[in-house]
Amino acid sequence: MNKSEILHMSNNKTDTMNNSNILLLCASPRRKGTSAMLLERIRSVADGGELLFLPQKGSLDEIAQAMQNAQTIVISGPCYINTYPARLIELLERASSIGGFSNQKLYGIINGGMPYIHTHRHGLTSLQLFAEQNSLSWQGGFVLGVGAMLDGQPLEKHIRRKKIAPAFDLFIQHIKKGTSAPDSLYEQAQVPPGKIVTYLFSKLLTVMVEKRIKNHGCDVNEPNWY
Amino acid sequence: MTVIISDESKERWGSALEKELLQSGTQVVHFIANAINVEPCTSCGSCGGKTFGRCVIQDDMQTVLPKIVTCRALVLVSPAVFGGVSRHIKKVMDRMMPIADPRYRVSDGEMIKGMRNQKILYHMIGFGDKLSEAERTAFISLHKENCIIMNVKGRAFILDSNSKTDAIKKIANEVSYE
Ligand SMILES: Cc1cc2nc3c(=O)[nH]c(=O)nc-3n(C[C@H](O)[C@H](O)[C@H](O)COP(=O)(O)O)c2cc1C
Repeated sequence: MNKSEILHMSNNKTDTMNNSNILLLCASPRRKGTSAMLLERIRSVADGGELLFLPQKGSLDEIAQAMQNAQTIVISGPCYINTYPARLIELLERASSIGGFSNQKLYGIINGGMPYIHTHRHGLTSLQLFAEQNSLSWQGGFVLGVGAMLDGQPLEKHIRRKKIAPAFDLFIQHIKKGTSAPDSLYEQAQVPPGKIVTYLFSKLLTVMVEKRIKNHGCDVNEPNWY
Repeated sequence: MTVIISDESKERWGSALEKELLQSGTQVVHFIANAINVEPCTSCGSCGGKTFGRCVIQDDMQTVLPKIVTCRALVLVSPAVFGGVSRHIKKVMDRMMPIADPRYRVSDGEMIKGMRNQKILYHMIGFGDKLSEAERTAFISLHKENCIIMNVKGRAFILDSNSKTDAIKKIANEVSYE
């Protein structure tokens, strides 16, 4: 048996040991979006885990129950005005009022359109506070900027793919091993763009947006519809 | 006109603020977020394309948005939940996309967005019993980020549940623009 085979075998062993009870929870209403893609990546690298989508209507009690039954919970969601969507807050409020957590490990992922970490970070802070107030064990998270452009495509298509993909894969290793993921992982992978890139990027995106709206027969300069 | 959107399911600070503002002669429209019917945003993308500037979900947001687009100040009043706003307030916030400007601009060297045809004053009041320093800081940072991305100005306040009417009077003074 060569070295790599031995390594592979021992990897498999840890997979089955740790991943029997990972809950991957998608907090985006878009089932094929970037939040879901990141969870699929975890599922394939970590070799398992149950992937659940937050239902957009009706009771969230079943999901709250699934959170209690899991040993490790990974929540991935989009950034809506600087933090997670309402429906996830609703789940956290509900799970908190039901209670009964016993040191479940919680990891968080938030992705948004803007290329800045500070735009999206509040989501992770909220999850951490939720964990601390409800006897879960906060294990850190991952902030992904420029996630809107990906629109569910793999990280290999990200404009910072060379740094982001390996950084996210290291994050997955933390989930696999059950260790706490440092913020530096995602921080070092995405330095904010410089002045010229920022200017060009905003011009380009604006042209794209204006074109899309025009193609629908509308005009951005119209007065508010409301 | 000032629009107040408040979560009154726990404490009625929104109504207290409304009363103070009315007394000082400010026009107020007050929506009680936990009593109106607002569905979560489905991120369908229609307001940014097919029905530009307009949400396709027919619920009470169709009444709230016309008030926001004509207001001078918007005040969100919410229990501080995990260092942010409650589910009731967040539902309304998520549905404000149709009145945002889809274009990008640069401010302080960073890309931002803004509101369309409008510059509102944007305030947030978070209340709770014995909020930790971490919760307060998080709540204030959410307001700060909101101001950056919407390109608006305003203030964030933390209110202790045991506060007296004086406290809300003071806030009413700070958020009145006349
Ligand atoms: C209501 C709403 C609010 C949003 N607010 C922000 C925001 O504040 N900052 C940002 O960078 N992106 C924002 N976005 C963009 C999403 O975060 C982005 O498209 C993300 O990639 C969606 O993830 P998903 O594909 O998993 O749904 C917003 C999108 C919606 C629908």
